[in-house]
Amino acid sequence: MSDFEILKTILTEFPYALFGSIVAGMLCAYLGVYVVSKRVVFVGATLTQVAVAGIAFSHLPFIEVEPLFGSMAFTLAATILFAQLLRSKVIPQDSVLGASYVVAIALRILMIQSSPAAEVSEIEAILKGDILFITASQFYLLLGVFLVIMALHLLFFKAFIFVSFDAETASTQGFPSRWWELFFYLTVGIAVSVATRIVGDVFVFGFLVIPAVSAMLIARKVRNVFLLSVTFGAIPPILGLYLAFILDFPAGPTTVATAFMFLLISWIINRVR
Amino acid sequence: MNFTSTPLLIEARSVDLGYGKKKILSGISFSIYAGDFVGIVGPNGSGKTTLLRAILGILRPLRGEIVLGGGSNGPFRVGYVPQRDSIDQMMPFTVHDVVMMGRFGKLGAVKLPSEEDRKKVRLALNHVDIEDIMDMSFKELSGGQKQRTLIARALASEPDVLILDEPTNGMDLASRAAIMELIRRLHSLDGLTVIMVSHLLSDVATSVKKLILVEQGLFQVGTVDEILTEENLSKLYNVPVSIGDFLGNKIILAEPRNV
Repeated sequence: MSDFEILKTILTEFPYALFGSIVAGMLCAYLGVYVVSKRVVFVGATLTQVAVAGIAFSHLPFIEVEPLFGSMAFTLAATILFAQLLRSKVIPQDSVLGASYVVAIALRILMIQSSPAAEVSEIEAILKGDILFITASQFYLLLGVFLVIMALHLLFFKAFIFVSFDAETASTQGFPSRWWELFFYLTVGIAVSVATRIVGDVFVFGFLVIPAVSAMLIARKVRNVFLLSVTFGAIPPILGLYLAFILDFPAGPTTVATAFMFLLISWIINRVR
Repeated sequence: MNFTSTPLLIEARSVDLGYGKKKILSGISFSIYAGDFVGIVGPNGSGKTTLLRAILGILRPLRGEIVLGGGSNGPFRVGYVPQRDSIDQMMPFTVHDVVMMGRFGKLGAVKLPSEEDRKKVRLALNHVDIEDIMDMSFKELSGGQKQRTLIARALASEPDVLILDEPTNGMDLASRAAIMELIRRLHSLDGLTVIMVSHLLSDVATSVKKLILVEQGLFQVGTVDEILTEENLSKLYNVPVSIGDFLGNKIILAEPRNV
């Protein structure tokens, strides 16, 4: 099978996997610029695990709700909690996130243990990063979330930038950092909960970090950091799906590994420049 | 009581400040008028930053109130210059980007900067002599250049009062002198009201006109000569302190003790 035929097969047989992972990659890569620059990368790791715990919770025999609701409820609750706890000086930030991360994994394991076998396989597919079978409705949901979050972020770009650069001064200029931070984390929470349900935790965490770091290594203007990060979020899913197809690898982890190649290239450009 | 027509900008009335149940300063009152040059001094941990946060409106008093006067045009506006080390930035913001943030308060959350805003930014950059580095990345600047950028950002907001938190902290002698000269110039030539927090008594003693001494049980407001006395400073730092004079500047010496 030629390269063209492989790409044509992906496009015709798995269009939602292709476009869904591109949209998820771009969404996570855009938000990732803030996540990386605020040095709260572990928030991404923790929220993805909280989202998976929410999905596992929704499969419990006595709960049985749509997994997306479970993922969203858990993630938004964690987001609100983080927005409070990460401002507190009583417990160090990394301790809050470390404890939440490990508790989310423990809850997930306990809840999977109590779930019927058929549904365990769905959770394991998410953990394995099997993105090939994204459905049309999942894709449109992801696209809707992408458009709404991007619209909000572009509309309030100044406020998000100011609070992220210097929260205290922003507060003195009429941008109460407490509320803007909460608003930001809520958008991250919604993006992570929806994307994790659809493309898996490895993909989401990977794309919250790797494209933003790649962009920061080579961009010299703030606007270019966002543009490059979104580009580095959009291209690896195309190459990743192609490589997963010819190497018979799971698509999610292959896509993340492809994104990492872009990081290496950016690092080399940064070194030789 | 002020019998002149100088407008009252900030007034603290029997204020208690602290976090949660922890009271750091209690029963403090003071007034700051337009055109004042005020230094806030005190030992580490005495509550200088707490007082500053209350004046900035970031910290709500536990008791009493801090009243901010009406602004000269529109609402009362504070130009805040935080400690530059508090800004740990990975993004490649240029000096122009940072100074433009000073206009965001006037623009609100949605409106985009206009040509008028860009003009004001260039004016602020020019005012602190850094127009030539406006395209440089903020994170690659020297300490003095960063401080000038943050002062320019505060000026771009067209403030009623300029508030600086430890503006010369961690600077070499030459940069320190240059920044202090700039602050003095903004006060004397532009008539800007300035409030400056510093633990460097020599910086404060040679520049400000009014001092607020911050320490629980020893809170005082007065002129430099009234506040910076050997008796006051010896009590404040719990060591014998001597004050001398050299070329018209106060020299403050403390005997060492274990800390």
